Amino acid sequence: MHTLFVIAGKDAKVIMRDRAALLVMLAMPLALIFILGSALGSIGQGDSLDIDVAIVNMDTGDTGQRFVEGLTGSKEIEALFNIDVSDDAEAVRTAVEKGDLTAALIIPPDLSEKIAAGEPVGLEVLQDPGSKIAGGIWASVVRAGVANASAQIIAVHTLQEELAGAGAQPPASPGAAPRMPSMTFDAVAVREIEAQVDKRISMISYYSAGMTGMFLLFGSMFGAFGFVKERREQTLARMLSTPAGKLSIVGGKAVGVLMIGVGQFAVLLIGTKMLFGVDWGQNLGATVLVGAAEAVAAAGLAMTLAALGKSERSIGGIGPAAIMLFAATGGSMIPTEQLPKFLLPVQVISPVYWTVSGFLDVMRGASVADVLPGVGAVLAIGAVLFAFGTWRLRFE
Amino acid sequence: MGSIVQVTDLVKRFGDFTAVDGVSFSIEEGEVFGLLGPNGAGKTTTISTISCLLSPDGGDVVVGGHSVSGAAMAVKRELGVVPQEIALYPTLSAAENLAFWGRMYGLAGADLASAVDDALALAGLEDRSKERVEKYSGGMKRRINIAAGVLHRPKVLLMDEPTVGIDPQSRNHILQTVKDLNAGGMTVLYTSHYMEEVEFLCDRIAIMDHGKIIAMGTLNELREVVGGMDVIDVKVENVSDPVLEQVRAIPGVSQANRTDSALQVLTPGSGAVLGKLVATLESEGSHVTSITVTEPNLESVFLHLTGKSLRD
Repeated sequence: MHTLFVIAGKDAKVIMRDRAALLVMLAMPLALIFILGSALGSIGQGDSLDIDVAIVNMDTGDTGQRFVEGLTGSKEIEALFNIDVSDDAEAVRTAVEKGDLTAALIIPPDLSEKIAAGEPVGLEVLQDPGSKIAGGIWASVVRAGVANASAQIIAVHTLQEELAGAGAQPPASPGAAPRMPSMTFDAVAVREIEAQVDKRISMISYYSAGMTGMFLLFGSMFGAFGFVKERREQTLARMLSTPAGKLSIVGGKAVGVLMIGVGQFAVLLIGTKMLFGVDWGQNLGATVLVGAAEAVAAAGLAMTLAALGKSERSIGGIGPAAIMLFAATGGSMIPTEQLPKFLLPVQVISPVYWTVSGFLDVMRGASVADVLPGVGAVLAIGAVLFAFGTWRLRFE
Repeated sequence: MGSIVQVTDLVKRFGDFTAVDGVSFSIEEGEVFGLLGPNGAGKTTTISTISCLLSPDGGDVVVGGHSVSGAAMAVKRELGVVPQEIALYPTLSAAENLAFWGRMYGLAGADLASAVDDALALAGLEDRSKERVEKYSGGMKRRINIAAGVLHRPKVLLMDEPTVGIDPQSRNHILQTVKDLNAGGMTVLYTSHYMEEVEFLCDRIAIMDHGKIIAMGTLNELREVVGGMDVIDVKVENVSDPVLEQVRAIPGVSQANRTDSALQVLTPGSGAVLGKLVATLESEGSHVTSITVTEPNLESVFLHLTGKSLRD
């Protein structure tokens, strides 16, 4: 065990002094996160003023319709919102859940009836929790609309009572006046409901997860380089002539890659947070668990690459190809839901998929328990890669 | 003192090729034992088997009472190994390299620090210990390569051609280092294809060729293999195969062999041969630049035994 850590420490030191390795493992991911996140940033930004909302009016009476006209007829409101009037409540709910709509107003079928009967009634405002500010503006607008409607009803009601007292007929007014209920909108509650949707993630956060997931695996390549180089330069043979067993040597090499991976992850985590303000979520433990699991997978991959590659050149071909395949199917480059369906089965063997998914889940609020299945999958993949690599590894 | 290394009927094959073919020798404690032979003779394979890097296909090696077949770890603890290649980490400093190899042998703390200091002193590189090895000259790397093999103070030091490709000054330093280590009680197994080094260092010598030991003994014992012969070294240009055959046909010439721009001739009596030798060479257009007559050395022993040069 002692020699295992001696070898791991030496390997970590050697890789840390390799400028090319540092460039690939640290500088490249940070640069790519910045470029991709900046270029595609607007796609995921939730709090823009070009706010897409929808109104579903299911009211069988006139009150709901007047309310809709009040909202859609305002130039001030029009300047802030793109309002879509729909009659499909489920479709609107789904759109909010998917993040296609920032918020929605659902007017219930019995609004007019309940108001006329003086019974409480609720307007439902759905909000995407990933767009709290925009959703909040929409809720405020709805509340203001309710208050305005209440004032109109009070005014008309008062007028009706005065005219009745004077023995006159009430005037025909536009809108609800002829059938104005006997109560105000006070009984109308605006229920703000956060749609049960994933927290929306900005592009810079997405690519921080994606690139970290991908570049953590590049540590494996440098670990494999190191093994092959040691084989070629006979330091491995020299190690074998010491009282260290082969298992200690292989374990030391793997732990060295693991140490490098954990260090690389720490730098990327802190770097993206400090440089780009990336929100990795509230559960640091879960994030670290996901990252550490992939560092383990990287250690396993290092052994497999060292076993498959006869030289640094061949590893330089096999390694990036394997990592890019894992990354492409794992969501490092584009969200996995946008991948062709035939690629989806490949995802389950990609440690990047589980890692990126884990990072994104934690960003959306997942706990340690939530990420454990994915962490388990990554560790299993790492164990298989380590076992295969160790089985096929050549020392001479 | 008894044998600290005992090699018995050692066989090592790589596929159909037998690299070591029934080799037996023993090394006494405190001795410098030389394995001399041309490239490909089986020296490195032998030393790799002793150091447990290769498993024997036949026979056995016992070091300090432990067999490589049954107690490899115990054997490794007795050994220090200086490989033919410079097996160091170029981006680590000399001190970091030495500390790493010391830790691999279980050294730690003050013992490790002391061993690193001693090893640096042995290599004569105390003042450059913090420089990366990649910045060292070839000779300096070789010295650190040796220091890394001895800092844990092994009982037996295996040195596989430790002077390949270095300048004469560094070579002298290394040879003197081996002498000093041996004077301090360390047993040394030294392989080389440079006969001068083996003659200078070794108490006993085994000459290997084609995986077998063809002669073994002290330097004087090996010289006696050649008997009372003289060795004529001729510096000459343009010795063709027909000319070499004519030289071999000269009465009194026991053996003749060509190496680069030299011709080595073994003869019981140099006086009777010299005139005819020069005449033959000159008549065939081979220009002689110098002639030296010496006592037999390991080169002539090898020539006598195999009919070829050590450097062939």
